[in-house]
Amino acid sequence: MSAVPAQSLPAPRRIPQPPRRLRAAPDAAARAKPRLGYAIIALGGVALIVVAQLLLSIAMTQGAYEVDAQQTKQAALALEEQKLSEDLDRLESPQYLAVNAEALGMVPNANPVYLRLSDGAVLGQPTAAGGGVASGPLVPNLLITDVPLITQQQTGETPGGGDPGATGEAAAHVPDQTPVPPPVDGALPTPATH
Amino acid sequence: MNRISRHPMRRILLSAVVLLALVGVFIVRLIDIQVVRAAELSEQANDVRSRPMTVFGTRGEIVDANGNVLADSVMRYDIVLSPKQAAKAVVEREVPDPEHEGQTTETEVPLAQLAAELGAVVGLTGDQVQGIITSELAEDPEADYAYVAKLVDTETYEAVKALEIPWVYADDHPSRRYPNGAVAGNLIGWVDEDGNAGAGLELGEDECLASENGEVTSLRSLKDWVEIPGTEVVHKQAHDGGTLQLTIDSDLQWAVQRIAEAQVQATGAQWATVTVMEAKTGRLLAVADVPTVDPNDPASTPEGDRGSRSFTAPFEPGSTFKALTAASVIDHGKADPLSQIIAPYRYLPPNGANINDSGYHEDERLTLTGVLIESSNTGMSQFGERISDQERYDDMLRFGLGAETEVGFPAEAPGDLHGVPEEWDNQTKYATMFGQGLTTTAVQIASIYQTIANGGVRMPVTLVDGCRDENGKVTRTPSEGTRVVSEQAADQTSQMLERVYQDGWLADKWNIPGYRVAAKTGTAQVPDGQGGYQTGYLVSVSGFAPADDPEFVVSVSIMNPVKMNSSAASAPVFQEVMSQVLKKYRTVPSGAPAPELPATW
Repeated sequence: MSAVPAQSLPAPRRIPQPPRRLRAAPDAAARAKPRLGYAIIALGGVALIVVAQLLLSIAMTQGAYEVDAQQTKQAALALEEQKLSEDLDRLESPQYLAVNAEALGMVPNANPVYLRLSDGAVLGQPTAAGGGVASGPLVPNLLITDVPLITQQQTGETPGGGDPGATGEAAAHVPDQTPVPPPVDGALPTPATH
Repeated sequence: MNRISRHPMRRILLSAVVLLALVGVFIVRLIDIQVVRAAELSEQANDVRSRPMTVFGTRGEIVDANGNVLADSVMRYDIVLSPKQAAKAVVEREVPDPEHEGQTTETEVPLAQLAAELGAVVGLTGDQVQGIITSELAEDPEADYAYVAKLVDTETYEAVKALEIPWVYADDHPSRRYPNGAVAGNLIGWVDEDGNAGAGLELGEDECLASENGEVTSLRSLKDWVEIPGTEVVHKQAHDGGTLQLTIDSDLQWAVQRIAEAQVQATGAQWATVTVMEAKTGRLLAVADVPTVDPNDPASTPEGDRGSRSFTAPFEPGSTFKALTAASVIDHGKADPLSQIIAPYRYLPPNGANINDSGYHEDERLTLTGVLIESSNTGMSQFGERISDQERYDDMLRFGLGAETEVGFPAEAPGDLHGVPEEWDNQTKYATMFGQGLTTTAVQIASIYQTIANGGVRMPVTLVDGCRDENGKVTRTPSEGTRVVSEQAADQTSQMLERVYQDGWLADKWNIPGYRVAAKTGTAQVPDGQGGYQTGYLVSVSGFAPADDPEFVVSVSIMNPVKMNSSAASAPVFQEVMSQVLKKYRTVPSGAPAPELPATW
């Protein structure tokens, strides 16, 4: 093609032509390219959404199993917590504390004496504590009937109402050794620090 | 090409009809499933993939004044087996293979062995477990539900689960536990196996404590029954019960019960009650009723001993009541601690009554103080008649007698003032001056002494501090005092009671060194229910300390201590309990001695 405009061409002659029919304009080749891009974007988007949803769904399902596992664990821990707090509660009861104190040789003193700090006055009459009544059976508590006294327990054993060997796990923590009785030399144990 | 395009319309029509028909079928099917049978189908689906689950609301705790738990809720388990499955199922277990080292093989476990294992865990023999199975099957061959054990604890539950017997399972069963056993068991009461409040505060304060179970459903995967996220539907919200806080101190309650029980055993008494009350507030710090029920096992206590006699069993109080009459007479200005009378052994008032003292004595020239020290019925009668019966009766009502206390304990007794004064016969008119012919509860007696100790202002008796609901909202029991007698009358009565403590015949039995104490004994006759009196007595001591600034009221009643039938049986209990109270609350000993008041003239 020459770059020179075709100015010198003669004017076209008008020749009779058959009547024109309307036809669909031929596809513009230049437009085909952006359409393909859109299609890719649209399809890609759909694919992306599908994949994302799939992944989300997988994650959710995975999460459901994790939640389930954690809930199972929580239930087991709640059981453990319940057992321990039940043990603690009955060990805290006044009956258990009292029989243990008595087993260790303590007696209640009903005659307290007060020292007033402001003037150093002694209020009350000092009286030696007498041997009290054994309070063991006086105020019953069904929950501590099977719990051994502190003096009956051996080293390494935890006080508890249940059989510590009932759950295999608990038994595993107890070192398998012959119990060593605490040294008795007639005096209260004292710390070694000065 | 030609053939196809020859009848395009026909083809299009055909396709359209086919399509329409198809769509129509789908729409009909859709409406059928989504609208017509929607409810039925979704129910079916839910039946397969979800189960309604009970969410247990927790019944509230009962705690003492310091927050120590007296009653709490725990989860217990009912062990259940399916007799039908037990008879049919073949249970196999992996055991070490004897032929191949380190490998396992499956062996069938016989029913007898499983039954024995299960029995050992729940405390039955294997035969008993098999007995349950066979007897259930004999009744109904399709039996699918039989209890092996009820309300077992967590350890047993875990042991049962560890057996992995497929036809044995456990149902949750919320239950109640009382960690301190019989401490305050008389007050707390208990909850029965089915979770219904049985007695005591559990019953009386059920409104505060009761919880409500909720219900949720959620969809679950069929294969491993894992909850599908976001499918939980709460049908009913669960509600926890409120926490009930008492004014009781559990340590003190224990100490008091122990002291009372020891004395009941030592004297062969039928029962004893001890009430400890704060003088300035009317709060009950301890209410002991011996024998006491252990709410963990109410059945082990005889039925009559399971409640709180302090609230529910009125009795004729006897001489401890004289403090009220004295305060009443002083309040009306008809006497003071030094007013003088001559107290004979037998007093025959003009209306025809016949009053005598417990032991014979010559005429004594006593002051009102002396009348209380000697606990003279004839002397008290001569003071009591100085005011009208109606005035005395009105005072009794204002002291809180003849009506239930503010506590409102279940089955609390109002006591009986023998009707109204118009109904009193001649003897009753005088008997009511020294505590016979009318009945009061132990708590009412403590309240009388609280009023005297608190300068004549009676505080409402409080056992429950308040209720804290699950949202933390606290409902407190209101507490406002009412003046019953003048401060002067109360103080003078208090001083006379101090002389009783110092100069009475039990002075060396109830001595608490370092403190000023006011107290009065009583040895009351007990009606036998047929118009007469029993041979045994109800012996009592009521009082408060320190008398110079009263903090605590202690009231002791012991029924028929056969080995020591006098108030000497109750005095040591008073002494021990009061010492314990003063020690526990670090009460500063009294400085000055009690004022002297002459007993005779």
